[in-house]
Amino acid sequence: MDAYVSRDKTERGASRMGMIVFLASEVFLFGSLFFTYFYLKINTKPWPPEGVALDPKFAAINTGILLFGSLLVWAASRLVRRGRMAAVQAALFTASVLGFVFLGITGWEWRHESFRAWTNAYGSIFFTLTGFHALHVFGGAMLMLALAIRTRRGKYTFATHTGIEVGALYWHYVDFIWILVFTTLFFIR
Amino acid sequence: MKGFFSIGLVRGILGGTAGTGTGAGAVMLIRMAMGLPAWDEGQVWAAGIVAGVAGYLIALGLFNYWARWFVGARDRFEPNMPSRSWTRFLSVSTDHKTIGIQYLATALIFLPVAVALQLIARADLSKIGFSLNPETYTALISDHGIVMLFIVAIPAFAGLMNYFVPLLLGAKDMAFPRLNALSFWLVPAAGILMVTALGAGGFDTGWTIYPPLSVSYQPLGMNLVLIGAYLAGFSSILSAVNILTTVIKLRAPGMGIFRMPIFVWTAVSTTILSLLFTQFVSMALLFVLLERTLNMPFFGTAGGGQPLLYQYMFWFYSHPATYIFALPGLGIISEIIPVFARKPLFGYKAVALSSVGIAIGGTMVFGHHMFAAGIPALLRIPFMITTMLVAVPTGVKVFAWVATAWGGKLRMGSPLLFVLSAIVIFLIGGLTGVIQAVVPVNLYVHDTYWIVAHFHSVLFGGFLFPLMAGIYYWFPKMTGRRMSEGLGRAQWWLMTLGSALLILPMFVLGLDGLRRRTADYSNMDFRPLVIATAAGGFLIFLGLVVLFYNILRSRRKGAPAWDNPWEGRTLEWMTSSPPPYDNFPATPVVTGEPYDYGISSRPYADVTRSNPSKNR
Repeated sequence: MDAYVSRDKTERGASRMGMIVFLASEVFLFGSLFFTYFYLKINTKPWPPEGVALDPKFAAINTGILLFGSLLVWAASRLVRRGRMAAVQAALFTASVLGFVFLGITGWEWRHESFRAWTNAYGSIFFTLTGFHALHVFGGAMLMLALAIRTRRGKYTFATHTGIEVGALYWHYVDFIWILVFTTLFFIR
Repeated sequence: MKGFFSIGLVRGILGGTAGTGTGAGAVMLIRMAMGLPAWDEGQVWAAGIVAGVAGYLIALGLFNYWARWFVGARDRFEPNMPSRSWTRFLSVSTDHKTIGIQYLATALIFLPVAVALQLIARADLSKIGFSLNPETYTALISDHGIVMLFIVAIPAFAGLMNYFVPLLLGAKDMAFPRLNALSFWLVPAAGILMVTALGAGGFDTGWTIYPPLSVSYQPLGMNLVLIGAYLAGFSSILSAVNILTTVIKLRAPGMGIFRMPIFVWTAVSTTILSLLFTQFVSMALLFVLLERTLNMPFFGTAGGGQPLLYQYMFWFYSHPATYIFALPGLGIISEIIPVFARKPLFGYKAVALSSVGIAIGGTMVFGHHMFAAGIPALLRIPFMITTMLVAVPTGVKVFAWVATAWGGKLRMGSPLLFVLSAIVIFLIGGLTGVIQAVVPVNLYVHDTYWIVAHFHSVLFGGFLFPLMAGIYYWFPKMTGRRMSEGLGRAQWWLMTLGSALLILPMFVLGLDGLRRRTADYSNMDFRPLVIATAAGGFLIFLGLVVLFYNILRSRRKGAPAWDNPWEGRTLEWMTSSPPPYDNFPATPVVTGEPYDYGISSRPYADVTRSNPSKNR
């Protein structure tokens, strides 16, 4: 960017608040998808339609992966206050890798689904819902990678680590949404 | 030549072209790899346009900082002072004042375009010797609606909020200046897509884009509009994040929430609505696009989809959206009346909270758009009642304005003239809104010109006239020069008479049964009133021409405005015109109430005190 933003023009506490406001909007993004899911569900008999066979096995593994990732990010945001930067960096990097593993498993599962996005309305909302979540995991994994790199390059200290706190907030949100997606698709159905 | 490429827009257009080619090529390669024919108009163009927008944003340089942030590179030091040349508006800037003017200019460029589209359709409807085919007619009116809402109404107020929310709060800039630039630069791309849609076959669904018509039987132009509207929605969400964070975090010391100017209150209410509910309309538009390009049957009944789903999602946003268009306008009215009446604003707290009340109430009324669409009969009555209840906080505002003006020594400057017209026209729109909320009446007037007249009077009173008032009121602050009062009055006459001529006959036409969005009619009794509405639109267009002449003339030749031409109390008047890069000589400290006009012993704020905590 060509223009210069003087340091004192940006407020530290603002980034955290900005993320909270942004996540409020994100809740409505997934809200619109869940609304669609349940609207289609109550107007379609049977639901899921015939020919839809779901296997929760891989999704369950994915749940474990994301929860472990969340744990690591939580640990990172605790450890950074004690200044243990090597551990922080390792935790963030592992969380990022776990995010990409999640995406790999999701992609593999999509390939082996018994239906496609254009088969019926169920397929459309299934792939849009999981797809939007996957997009958020991708964003989160890239963010964790960035935070790991920045930790390695000494951008954060025990005193200044707003980036890690704000990033952790986002990552926990993505996990939380996954729990809702997982329960909705495989248990409430 | 180097200077030419240093203009951001030039690089953006080149990047956009490159991106479009790349995206389209990539889809064709994927299709060939999957054994499909390489060309599919919908898919190739959709991917091309999305990649093109990405290329345009990258080439503009909007992601440079975040790319450097990602790898932890050192912050680059760059010159502090932005250029004074007008070409700075064609490049990326992070200064909220530059971005505010960029937003306003974009909206004011698209405003006459959208009016002109409708004037062509009106001329056709007046049967004055030329006729369009029905597809062109509906494409014109559909594009008029969607450009007006997404590229004129939202960006125009985004511009005023960008410029004045930080100033009214005593802040140096928005909370996230780079995000601010990103939200602005999405808007011109969206606007260009929506206008070029007319050249790509147009679309004749009306601005509401209802399926099943929108998912079938529509040419490529529909895709362009969908992507454009999606981008505009994205921009308005990002700018909402920014404005809300700014208001929460960057208020000057001493500015409790009940010392904020009303414009800030309405900005907060507006941005909460757009922050949350835009997600719904964006998703609905995306569903339409997915169904059109990838055959995903969200709405098509053959695949188990539900056409009515779209209407729920659309109005879940689009009803609150009517308040998104109007609330900042109501804020501008509340700002201007006390200044010109030289009296304190009547019922400050009630006016402030009524904005929040309108926002909350506005989320619970969307069903009244669907009374005729076959929603469960049980839902009609609650939606009817909530719709009528929204009139209460709106009435609080109107009452407070009148009570503020009551007994005051009104200074009849052009900002006040526009405000007075706005109140009257808004009142017409608001009262007819209560009438048509009644279910039986609604079923009768649904899809007639009555509805068109209603929402045009709400938008004229809540958006167009307050916007004009805002421009006349704040132009001296933005440029350091005053606008011509004579031209302002001429424009006010043209636009007020034009609005009356445009709106009032439409109510009659609607009650007589003329349906909206029809390209023709056989009953010639309608013709005189149809011609009257066309003439009204033409007068408004002339008014806009006067406005542009006034802006261009006053920017160079207007009388100097100094710091405080209207003798206002709020913070933006306590700095020079235009304000310096950091807005205030010293951080303002708020010590009083914003609207205590006539009580000279109680100043609002102190901007001269040197502030001990410089790193605020």
